[in-house]
Amino acid sequence: MATLDLPILTIPPGGVERGWARWGHDYGSMLRWHLTSLRMWLMTIAVVQALSGVGFVLGISLFFSHIPVSAALYVSTGVPVINLLIVGLILGPQLVAQQRTAGSYDYLRTLPVSRSVTALAWYTVCLAVSVPAVVVSLLVAQLRYDLPLHISPMIVPAVLLTSLAATMIGYALGHAVSNPMLTNVVTQALVFAVFGFAPVLYPIAQMPGWLADVNWWFPFRHMAVVTRAALTGTGGSAVSTGYLVLGVWTVAAVGLVAWSLGRRP
Amino acid sequence: MSAPASEWSFRVDDLVKRFGTVAANDGITLRIEPGEVYGLLGPNGAGKSTLVKQTIGLLKPTSGSIRLGSHDLVADPDAARQLCSYLPQAQMPVDAFTVREAIEIAGRIRGADIAQVRRRTAALISALDLGEWRATIGIRLSGGVKRLVGFCMATIAPGHLVILDEPTNDVDPLRRRLLWQEIRSLGAQGCSVLLVTHNVLEAEKAVDRLALIASGRLVAEGTPSSLKAADRNQMRLQVMLALGAETPPLPAWSGAPVRVGNNLVTTIAEKDAPAGIAWAADLIDAGIAEEYALGATTLEDAYIRLTSELPPDGLHGDA
Repeated sequence: MATLDLPILTIPPGGVERGWARWGHDYGSMLRWHLTSLRMWLMTIAVVQALSGVGFVLGISLFFSHIPVSAALYVSTGVPVINLLIVGLILGPQLVAQQRTAGSYDYLRTLPVSRSVTALAWYTVCLAVSVPAVVVSLLVAQLRYDLPLHISPMIVPAVLLTSLAATMIGYALGHAVSNPMLTNVVTQALVFAVFGFAPVLYPIAQMPGWLADVNWWFPFRHMAVVTRAALTGTGGSAVSTGYLVLGVWTVAAVGLVAWSLGRRP
Repeated sequence: MSAPASEWSFRVDDLVKRFGTVAANDGITLRIEPGEVYGLLGPNGAGKSTLVKQTIGLLKPTSGSIRLGSHDLVADPDAARQLCSYLPQAQMPVDAFTVREAIEIAGRIRGADIAQVRRRTAALISALDLGEWRATIGIRLSGGVKRLVGFCMATIAPGHLVILDEPTNDVDPLRRRLLWQEIRSLGAQGCSVLLVTHNVLEAEKAVDRLALIASGRLVAEGTPSSLKAADRNQMRLQVMLALGAETPPLPAWSGAPVRVGNNLVTTIAEKDAPAGIAWAADLIDAGIAEEYALGATTLEDAYIRLTSELPPDGLHGDA
């Protein structure tokens, strides 16, 4: 039987590699790891996301015989946020919960890559899965309702920040909650809250005042504000505030991810 | 420029890890030199995994130090992850990968050059006789083959310290022998290997030195021969009892018996071998036993003796 006759491949003695070159290498490797480990599901998840987005857009016209353009515009510009939210809030925590259940969580935490690499590679995967659904949902909405969309370049930061906030909140949840069953319960509750009690698909003015006040402190309303503004070419102080609040949530979630990944009890 | 091998010794000094009031590691000190395969044996809950998890940066010691060469692994867990390779006891998450892909991606994540990774992947697949599964996706692999793939992932670009937690679990006997060869090969090429196992008999053949850990403490350490020294001039008498038979009274000249199922094992002095054979034959004649075997003592006997000498204050919990 053949035995190894190759030189051993130890890390260069004396040098633990750090710096941007290593970071870039690790990012590529971890992205490949994520994409390959999910390859049996990525296409399915992307298609289901697109179908659910299209379902929202078309489904609203089945509820009512006549849809005012303003209502169609509101729903259609909220659906991309739902796409980004669902992927970020559900996919990450469920993946981490599955890793915990399978016992591979510890191994993945011992890989020699920085926490920022792990998080950013995962964010890239979430973007890759959700952005096609965003595009398809908007295309179908435009075809169905002939919407007065005015897509501004701000759509790029709006989508990137909305997805980043959702992904990091989900990822933080997955890593911070050590019981996989509890993780699943919490993500289900979050999705329920987003659909029912966050002003993403309908105007905040239709909510009771106290619920609107509560929503100001959560990121979901602000995700809808910045994304809708970028899709309709509008602006204003609510948009600036939206970016600010989302920024704070993102920083907090990234901090929680970093703490959870580096935690050594 | 490589540092001298001796600068890469792995040193654990007075390591204590407490979970509440329970000391999972209670003052462990050990040293593994480059090239050495070091076995860590001990009963469930003895504190082996706690030691490993502190080394690789998953747990933080309550006190004490863990160093690899000039690196303080407790203070710098990033260095620990780069300098140590780790095969956990649980299966690797390779369901979506082909065997070749899983090993190569693991090598890339460990920072190795792609050409080297490809060459070494081919060599490992050949050495462990995994060629027929090279392009098979993980979900279709048996547990034993997955285990071997995990070994390849952990050692494709091995660190100065390679930690293997039960590497032979589920592996068939033929490939288990190949696996032990590769573990020895890691040592021969300069890695320190920390091998956690319950498989005492196989470890005896593969390790240079070993330690027995129980209740969070190192209770014995040495070469397999030195640990068996107390059993010199002793023989192992193994009796397979008949189904449902009570444990028969043992002769005064035999050691403490251990019964597992219908298997009764004891040690006797070499000079008592004829009496031992006669005693076992009488048991068979009386229908109490079905067969017996008399042979040299093994490390397992030393392991049983050492663990049975411990005070009954075993560690609680999953440590």
